Amino acid sequence: MEGKNFLSKPGNRKGRAKGRKKGQGLGNIIRNNWQLYVLVLPALIYFIVFNYFPLYGIQIAFKDYKAVNGIAGSAWVGFKHFQTFFDAYYFKRLLSNTLLLNVYSLLWSFPIPLILAIFLNQIKNPKRKRFIQTSIYVPYFISTVVLAGMLYIFLSPTSGIFNVVRELFGAKAVDYMSEAGAFRTIYIISGIWQGAGWGTILYIASLAGVDQALYEAAEIDGASIWQKIRYIDLPSLVPVAMMVFILDCGKLLSSNTDKALVMQTAGNIPTSDIIGVYVYNVGLGSGQFSYTAAIGLFVNVINFVLIIAVNRLSRKVTDVGLF
Amino acid sequence: MARQKEGKQKKKLSTSNRIFYIFNTIFWIVIMFMVLYPLYLVLIASVSDPDAIVRGEVIWHPVDFSLIGYQAVFQYGELLHSYGNSLLYTFSSVIISIGVTMAAAYSLSRPKFPGKGLINFVFVFTMFFGGGLIPTFLVMKDIGLYNTPAVMVLMGCVNVWNLMVARTYIQTSIPHELYEAAVLDGASHFQYFFRCVLPLSKTILAVLGVYYGVSKWNDYFTGLVYLKDRSLLPLQTVLREILATLQVDKSGDYMLSMSENAASMAEAMRTANVAKYCIIVIATGPVVILYAFLQKYFEKGVMIGSLKG
Repeated sequence: MEGKNFLSKPGNRKGRAKGRKKGQGLGNIIRNNWQLYVLVLPALIYFIVFNYFPLYGIQIAFKDYKAVNGIAGSAWVGFKHFQTFFDAYYFKRLLSNTLLLNVYSLLWSFPIPLILAIFLNQIKNPKRKRFIQTSIYVPYFISTVVLAGMLYIFLSPTSGIFNVVRELFGAKAVDYMSEAGAFRTIYIISGIWQGAGWGTILYIASLAGVDQALYEAAEIDGASIWQKIRYIDLPSLVPVAMMVFILDCGKLLSSNTDKALVMQTAGNIPTSDIIGVYVYNVGLGSGQFSYTAAIGLFVNVINFVLIIAVNRLSRKVTDVGLF
Repeated sequence: MARQKEGKQKKKLSTSNRIFYIFNTIFWIVIMFMVLYPLYLVLIASVSDPDAIVRGEVIWHPVDFSLIGYQAVFQYGELLHSYGNSLLYTFSSVIISIGVTMAAAYSLSRPKFPGKGLINFVFVFTMFFGGGLIPTFLVMKDIGLYNTPAVMVLMGCVNVWNLMVARTYIQTSIPHELYEAAVLDGASHFQYFFRCVLPLSKTILAVLGVYYGVSKWNDYFTGLVYLKDRSLLPLQTVLREILATLQVDKSGDYMLSMSENAASMAEAMRTANVAKYCIIVIATGPVVILYAFLQKYFEKGVMIGSLKG
């Protein structure tokens, strides 16, 4: 009931504030804390069920999981599954496929949003700028499946536009999606097409926050646009860029399993077989739960160590860190 | 207007700056072409004649306008059914997501919330370390969420990053004085949250709606892993199956098996050549429309929420 009062009598606020400040303000806050816990509870339950229960389920990586015995009741086997994985002949291939895909992907797709943001920032016509901004976000809204569908269509050896153009120049049609050598390139380019525009958001926001006086001062000193970019824009983007980089590094062994999965064809398996896809195929496909849970745990630990290490390094070098 | 301004500026521009502007214009024309052309191509192909597509004639504009692709797509019972499923999952999930996220974000935005640090840690930790696919799968089976619509709605319905964005928004965009005034007037946290915070958070609500809605609508993996009944499948998971047939150029078979009205195998094959474009348009349409509508709020909200996130 009292809730209505504060909306209808804004005029009284100040007078009241002075009168009651210490006595009731604090008392109310303490008394009302239970409501804060109620508000945070649904999210807490969500994370416990969908993130912390699975953490508890990780123990099957050290067990021989049998459905009849359940997660807790299966027998312990120690590091057997890890050993099997490290000794497997495909271990090296999986690891290098995953690392190469993600490292190349990171190296190519990390700088592009930065470049786009800097050049977008130089467009002075607000309408044009807005149009470009709105358009370059659009690919981000396309689903993985549809993206892969577009790739199959455009790269089709019979009717795809790439091969139509190739044939115009007298070259032979290539079935890119079945080429092991083309997989990473397609994966990375399509990833850039889809994500680079979206990736500019943070950078554009930080460029918008740069003190305009800096630019004016630079202009008076006769700085060219290139110089302004080099000495004002770039340094002001470093903190955000470092943050993005750290977060990306935390995904070096895991990113985008679902995309690789839809892009995998019989032809490109030599390069498209990455750890995440393997876990899906072997774990859910042939029911080797404990074995693949161990692989998953291995990936998680590596990612965790990576993100901590990169964060440390970044703290030392640029003084920027996530935690 | 813009022309005139540019003209005036031109005298002042040094050569190096002029080169820069020319370079920048060309740069953006190329980028815009690369971004938009694939989308445009899909759109024009979806309303073209399948034979023209196969001959590679559809490059700049629709050829022999026809809607047979769309007609065919609307006859695939399973596709339409899954479309309905996706709408249902996405709609309910977005409502739950926004509610849960905003409530938690509000609590965490209160400076004097005892236990905030711990709860914050519990949330953020999940960003860096998770159980992985297989343990999650087994747990979902154990707690009876496997193969239910609930798993489709709930899986991923709270995202830590979004939660932090919302928290930052509440902290920075809603004046603290308002909170003090409300408390002094005897408002409880519930009252303040529902009557002040939510009505003042339209921007961030729109942003969350787009974020959650898009990721839910576009997700095929959850359906692939956690559902068994075909009648429960969301659109993207069904699309993936169609895609699997696209890989080997056997989409005609699939279309034939899906559609009772197709006259013959040859006809089905022919239609499939255009139907795949139509499917893309139909699957992507809702998301792009949602984005277009909310785009106005969107940039503001993203910027406010993400700065110092």
